[in-house]
Amino acid sequence: MSESLREILDLQLFWEFRTVLLRGLAVNFYVFIAAAVLALSLGLGAALLRNSRAAPLRWLGTLHVEIFRNAPDYVMVVWVHFVLPLLIGVVLHSRFEFNPFVSAMIALGFVYSGYFAETFRAGIEAIPAGHLEAARSLGIGEGLILRRIILPQVVRSMLPESINQFISLFKATTIVSLIAVPDLMYQVSMITQQQMRPLPLYTGAAITYFVIVLVAGSSLRVLADRWRARIRA
Amino acid sequence: MIRVVDVHKRFGTLEVLKGVSFDVHRGSVVSMIGASGSGKSTLLRCINHLEVPSAGDIFVDGESLCFRGAADGDRRPRSLAEINRIRRDLGIVFQQFNLWPHMTVLGNVTEAPQRVRGMSRKAAIELGEACLDRVHLRDKAHEYPARLSGGQQQRVAIARALAMQPKVMLFDEPTSSLDPELTDEVLAVMRELAEDGTTMIVVTHEMGFARDVSDQVMFLHNGLIEEEGPPAQLFGAPRSERLRQFVSKHVA
Amino acid sequence: MNNWERLVWNQRDALLAGLQVTIEVCFISFACAIVGGLVLCLVRMYVRPLRPVATFLIEFFRATPILVQLLWVNYAWPEIFGWPTSFYQAACTALALQSSGYLAETFRGGIEAVPRGQREAAFAVGMSPLLVFRRIILPQVLLGSAPAIVNQFTVIVKSSTLVSVITVQDLMFQSQKIVNIAYEPIEILTATAALYIAFIYVVSMIGKLLADRLRRSYGIAAH
Repeated sequence: MSESLREILDLQLFWEFRTVLLRGLAVNFYVFIAAAVLALSLGLGAALLRNSRAAPLRWLGTLHVEIFRNAPDYVMVVWVHFVLPLLIGVVLHSRFEFNPFVSAMIALGFVYSGYFAETFRAGIEAIPAGHLEAARSLGIGEGLILRRIILPQVVRSMLPESINQFISLFKATTIVSLIAVPDLMYQVSMITQQQMRPLPLYTGAAITYFVIVLVAGSSLRVLADRWRARIRA
Repeated sequence: MIRVVDVHKRFGTLEVLKGVSFDVHRGSVVSMIGASGSGKSTLLRCINHLEVPSAGDIFVDGESLCFRGAADGDRRPRSLAEINRIRRDLGIVFQQFNLWPHMTVLGNVTEAPQRVRGMSRKAAIELGEACLDRVHLRDKAHEYPARLSGGQQQRVAIARALAMQPKVMLFDEPTSSLDPELTDEVLAVMRELAEDGTTMIVVTHEMGFARDVSDQVMFLHNGLIEEEGPPAQLFGAPRSERLRQFVSKHVA
Repeated sequence: MNNWERLVWNQRDALLAGLQVTIEVCFISFACAIVGGLVLCLVRMYVRPLRPVATFLIEFFRATPILVQLLWVNYAWPEIFGWPTSFYQAACTALALQSSGYLAETFRGGIEAVPRGQREAAFAVGMSPLLVFRRIILPQVLLGSAPAIVNQFTVIVKSSTLVSVITVQDLMFQSQKIVNIAYEPIEILTATAALYIAFIYVVSMIGKLLADRLRRSYGIAAH
């Protein structure tokens, strides 16, 4: 066992391939950013839909949220990558393919839009009705109300929960390795097949994510607390 | 029955009790009054060891609550098990009721008799229902505390304390958390207990109760007993100036 | 015979077998996660010398992605510890570890949320600390955490979709096998996705009902 421990702590191999692995990690970040942007916009849209006065729009928003919040990440990624292009191809009468990066972005973006929609909804409902009534009776238009009253308060109150969801999304990007996107875990698998030494690489990957999540998580939370304290409602 | 001897209590650098001594005889009702911060709650909580005195001792029926005499004549602090044994004879009713929300009313009342005194379920239920009778809540036995009003919850708390058949009942500002309309039902139950001969020590702001029901009243100020005696004396002819001011402020 | 019949309905035996494996793995991992979470939580809160170890483990299991944990447990652990000895064991272990981390924190929040007065009332009637924990604290923690615990089950179900990567023959594995043979993914993958979504939706509805029931009966707010 001690030989294996030495092997596991021998992160030399991890260090040796650091450029390739770092490039893989960067791919994780790219996917994360792209998916996050999509998830935020769709999530906000769905939350607003659920808040609207028209019943069919509310229903649509709820449908979106219930489907995507309950969908497993991996299943969605596989479906978007293998099934969606075929469906689009049928419509376009031609063969259609997704770049795996795009599949990942779409799949993760939609799934996490479900979580963000719930977060935003909680934030919107937390706004005292009085604020909105006051704004409307002053004649302020809906668009302006959204931008100047709803959004700032939602962002402020839901920031901690959103940070947790961003971190989950970042962790979820490891799935893209399974559809041949050259992210960190993909590179790890490639090198493992070559070198036949899984221990240091998988351990290194685990430690890398641990460090990133811990550091990013705490710093984001500290920044968020400071920012929220500064704009005390 | 209860003897408090020179009890001091310090929290960090703040000395809340500065040497309090008094006796409570069997069957008597003692009220403790005083301004907030005078130490009355702390003193009450020392009596059943929820706070540990920094100095001094408390005797329950002649037995020291804080120390036990060892074979070599030395005194050693009591173990938790021994303290718990003595605690069984001291019932306490808290300002915040502190009922256990995941148990029914009857469950709350029978929990300690079963688990601590080892009574059988049947016997505990009989006892529990009798105690609920005394506080006039027998019909709520199978409700959960969340469904009851504040006054009802406090009466259940009283029944829970009574179920352990304690020698003394301690009350820590039992009506301070209640709306005025609900206070009376709790005070009525306490009055009945007093008439039944229960030994009671009551920390309260309800001067009416202190004056009408107690045998003895203690006025605490700044961690010391400023004045003590029968209610007629403390309320009718207060000796200290502070007490005079306190009484005129609090008695309508 | 259309594709739906050919690819999905006629394969239902294989799919059901896969579903059974999925459900087994999920329940085993779930049970282990609850026990593991409780142990980690109690060690972290009450066993002072082991506190940093427990805290580190909790944070480690929460911070690493489930795929990384699956691969790590499956490929690295046998060399270090000589265990797990099967892919199935590795899958259950990894899923359980991840959820123990989250549940440990949930339980900790629950324990700290029990008002101090309730402990005092219990001590005041002479209950020992062990009795207080067993009869007063633990029931409330489990009741109050029930929605979060049910939610963690949905997390396990979602994470279980990845165990096909270490060749555990769950529902995803069976679906992908059919796709590899038939080269026609639309019906089978859509059916699989719909099945997972429906299952998880039902579980989350149960969680929501639980939360409502708790609040109404006991006045305990879910946390």
